[in-house]
Amino acid sequence: MLTTPSFEYLLLSPMLIILAAAVIGVLAEAFLDRNHLPVIQLFISVGAILLALIQIYRIKSSSSTSAAIGSVVIDKATIYLQGTILIIGLLALLLISDQEQFVAQASAIPGSREEQESTSKGSIQTEIYPLLSFALAGMMLFTCASDLITLFVALEVFSLPLYLLAGLSRRRRLLSQEAALKYFLLGAYSSAFFLFGAAFLYGISGSVYLVDISSAVSGGYGNDVFVLIGLIFISVGLLFKISAVPFHAWTPDVYQGAPTSVTAFMAAATKVAAFGAILRIFYVVFSPIANQWRPIISVIAIITMVFGSAVAIAQRDVKRMLAYSSIAHAGFILTAVLALNKSGLSAALFYLTTYGLSTLAAFGIITLIRDATGEVTDLNKWAGLGKKSPLIAGSFAFLLLSFAGIPLTSGFIGKFAIFSAAYETGNIAVVVFGVLSSALAAFFYIRVILLMFVAQSQNDSISIAIPSVKSRIAIGATTAATVILGLFPSLLLNITQSFSIFIK
Amino acid sequence: MSILTVMMLICVIGAGMLFFIPTAKTVLVKQISLAISILVALIGIYLVGSLDKTQSGMQFVEIRNWIPTFGINYSVGVDGISAVLILMSVLLVPIVLLATWNESENGRWSVRTFQILVLILEVFMIGVFAATDLFLFYVFFEAMLIPVYFLIAGYGSGERAAAAVKFLLYSLFGGLLMLAAIIGTYVIAGNQIGKTFDIEKLSTLQIDQTTQNLLFLGFFLAFAIKAPLWPFHTWLPDAARSATTGTSVLLVGVLDKVGTYGMIKFCLKLFPEASRYFTPWIIGLALVSIIYGAIVAIGQKDIRGLIAFTSISHFGFITMGIFAMTTQGMSGANLYMFNHAFSTAALFLIAGWMIARRKSANIADFGGLQRVTPVMAWSFFIAGLSSLALPGLASFVSEFLVLVGTFTRYPVAAVIGTIGIILAALYILIPVQRALHGQTLKSNENLSDLDIRERVAIAPVILLIILLGLFPKPILDLINPAAKTVITSNGFSDPVSKVKK
Amino acid sequence: MNIANYLYLSALLFTIGSIGVVLRRNSIVVFMCIELMLNAANLAFVTFSRINGNLDGQVVAFFTMVVAACEVVVGLAIIVTIFRSRRSASVDDASLLNR
Repeated sequence: MLTTPSFEYLLLSPMLIILAAAVIGVLAEAFLDRNHLPVIQLFISVGAILLALIQIYRIKSSSSTSAAIGSVVIDKATIYLQGTILIIGLLALLLISDQEQFVAQASAIPGSREEQESTSKGSIQTEIYPLLSFALAGMMLFTCASDLITLFVALEVFSLPLYLLAGLSRRRRLLSQEAALKYFLLGAYSSAFFLFGAAFLYGISGSVYLVDISSAVSGGYGNDVFVLIGLIFISVGLLFKISAVPFHAWTPDVYQGAPTSVTAFMAAATKVAAFGAILRIFYVVFSPIANQWRPIISVIAIITMVFGSAVAIAQRDVKRMLAYSSIAHAGFILTAVLALNKSGLSAALFYLTTYGLSTLAAFGIITLIRDATGEVTDLNKWAGLGKKSPLIAGSFAFLLLSFAGIPLTSGFIGKFAIFSAAYETGNIAVVVFGVLSSALAAFFYIRVILLMFVAQSQNDSISIAIPSVKSRIAIGATTAATVILGLFPSLLLNITQSFSIFIK
Repeated sequence: MSILTVMMLICVIGAGMLFFIPTAKTVLVKQISLAISILVALIGIYLVGSLDKTQSGMQFVEIRNWIPTFGINYSVGVDGISAVLILMSVLLVPIVLLATWNESENGRWSVRTFQILVLILEVFMIGVFAATDLFLFYVFFEAMLIPVYFLIAGYGSGERAAAAVKFLLYSLFGGLLMLAAIIGTYVIAGNQIGKTFDIEKLSTLQIDQTTQNLLFLGFFLAFAIKAPLWPFHTWLPDAARSATTGTSVLLVGVLDKVGTYGMIKFCLKLFPEASRYFTPWIIGLALVSIIYGAIVAIGQKDIRGLIAFTSISHFGFITMGIFAMTTQGMSGANLYMFNHAFSTAALFLIAGWMIARRKSANIADFGGLQRVTPVMAWSFFIAGLSSLALPGLASFVSEFLVLVGTFTRYPVAAVIGTIGIILAALYILIPVQRALHGQTLKSNENLSDLDIRERVAIAPVILLIILLGLFPKPILDLINPAAKTVITSNGFSDPVSKVKK
Repeated sequence: MNIANYLYLSALLFTIGSIGVVLRRNSIVVFMCIELMLNAANLAFVTFSRINGNLDGQVVAFFTMVVAACEVVVGLAIIVTIFRSRRSASVDDASLLNR
């Protein structure tokens, strides 16, 4: 006699709401009047995110459990990560809804008459809203997936929309399309690695569930070579998503080519989702054989930190610079993966949140710096920005200081938490390298600050756009969070402490 | 609430008030910030006056939870050593503000920004000396860099941007090494006595020698860069040449003291065995600083560069006094920190006025100032004599104590250190002779003497230099109990005089 | 026949695919190489399914096919837009970002 599987809809509801919003968005795209679509789509997306946040709040104290026949695990860490992704998504949505960064009609050939017409008509690609919702839902699923199928499907569900979104920039369209192509090819390449690794993990355990794989790995039976192949190939796929060296090649190009608000979303939310999965896989599945992968991941973390910081120095484009800085930050968070203890997990959660919010703010500010041809990302043209708008330049400088980890910013507390967690488990070399690369990183952040405030401006062509109310909310809230969490980190640390629990 | 917190809050509120005053009202802005700094200075005097001299522990203590997850507290308190340094800082700020009344007007940004930066810096200066929580200390230690950076980069002259970056990078590098050491100490504390950053509790840790040596180096490098000690000094002359006079005074007078203060409070206290292990090396570095600073100072053409290098020499003395590990050396070093601030402040301020009048920083461009501008020349002369430790002026007592304290343990070092005094006579007297005495150059004929404001600003400094030279007792009474505690509580003892045997 | 041979084949296909991605210049061919890699993984799944004696691996293979189909949709869309813009599908021509 077959029993109906129970599905725990309440626990799944945040994801289901976002997915439903995405599907409704697609339907609206097909059936509703084009003129009203922007408002309707924005309303659907924002409404769904708010609803999902309410649901997250309702289930926040429910005991950790697996759901959907063991395919997902809703534990404390999942709930925290999903909440973070939703908040980042909401704020990014506010930035994205300032439509003018996006191409009017994605199918039109760049420079063609068709493109000019659709631009002058003011038409808008409202498909970005359902795409964003799909990506959000995929990311949320990725953090809680507890079998290989769900992991793989979630990975693709959040990656595919991002590939498309990366190619939708209005200005410098060829650049944007190339970014999309690179992102897609390399992304698909890495997910093939992920899948191949997954096959071997299935091979040694005979099950797709992470719990069984974990016990197979720790039991030591099966083939050790297969375990290593599985471990390495899955890691490649995941390390690609967080852009750890040597799997970082796509990052600067995609960050530069994509519309800035999409970059903001990608940089912040993808990191949270991918690290959510990495943390789960390494903490839950591979922790029994930590001795085998710790040296490798330590080396990767060190290379990532040092490389990201060192190469950022040479960048002349602010988006590329932030891309390399995000690579360096990936290295810092990897340090927390190495810690493999509760304080490491809590530190990683804290870091992901604060880094995500600061990154959103930084890219949000970049969208405001413009000249006649659109956004100005050439650092040389940023000279003298401090004179034009002390508030904007000051906020950006503060965010950079937070990235550098200067005290009284949230970035400093995050670094401190991560390094002390890593030190506890004896990874002293990583801590020393981390600290040194922070010094290196500080060099280029300070160079930008110097440029904005001290250098003479060569031309007056750049201007600072008056931000719309939506952008103002997004940038203001994220910058304020960086300040507040720097002064009173306990507000968030207490939460991450109580939410840093993974169950198998 | 502790009086220390009150002092910091007043500065914060003051800076906040300035933020709401229109940029154009420069005079009002200056008046307000001067009034606030004078108020804080008065509180500082009251603080030192009401300190219980018989007690060697922390006073005016306040402890509040800040980040309980990591065991981090907002905890402040002072003993004699830190109280004296706080007094020094809060006295210098109004003097600097008054003395450099117009300097902020030629900057890249508004006068208002300058005053806000100075007030914020004052908060951090008080905080860094008052913090009794290692994490809190580090926060102030690093945060202090930011306003100074902007003060140099925004209001300095010449290669100000490069100098500011150099200053910041040196300090950041040292600071981050210290952060690694702090994390190490914190983790060890977590294993032994639970997560805490309380300095008293941390000093009870049992750390094995190798770890202790490494952690010590992390701290010491940061402080040696800050102090600055040879060979980590190269940022200081650049910064001093490019910064405004006021910034230079605060930089050399207060910020650099954080380095030597940190050596006493953290290196010695947390890692006594490692300190003992490294003492010979550090004494060696200190000696090199003394001699090197003095020799390079003699060759300086730029008057600000000269003062900067004399400071490097003086910091050598201070470091030597600290690591001599004798009560006299320790007291002397502490008194030296206090005195040095005022004699250097006087030198910098008057040099600043000279440069502003003559539009040149080159020593050779001055000559015969004594005849044209007697008040300015005499003030500079007195400050210079104090800097070379002439008996009867402030620095003499402290330099004497340092040398005596060192002699009882390291006689050779003390003898070599004495050479520094002879060189000091050269590096001060040669420029004094060239700039103040001798033929009055044609170009200097119509230089104006100090005006009322400048005289009011410099008078207390000169007065302090003379008074402390004649009566150092009040300050020494404050320092001595704390200095004795530092020596004894870390298992050091004064060597028994061989004569008695 | 030894069932391990299927694993060898799968590894071989995967290697060919991954080398192809690195070496080939036409983005369509690169994309096909990636598909080859996915199918190699599928083969591994099915083989392991046989070895382990349960059907989970075969189920994964179906999921992979669906996901691969979605990937084709998105991938071809991107490649075609680029092709229409510059009449070339070579990844070498797409080099504006490598300044």
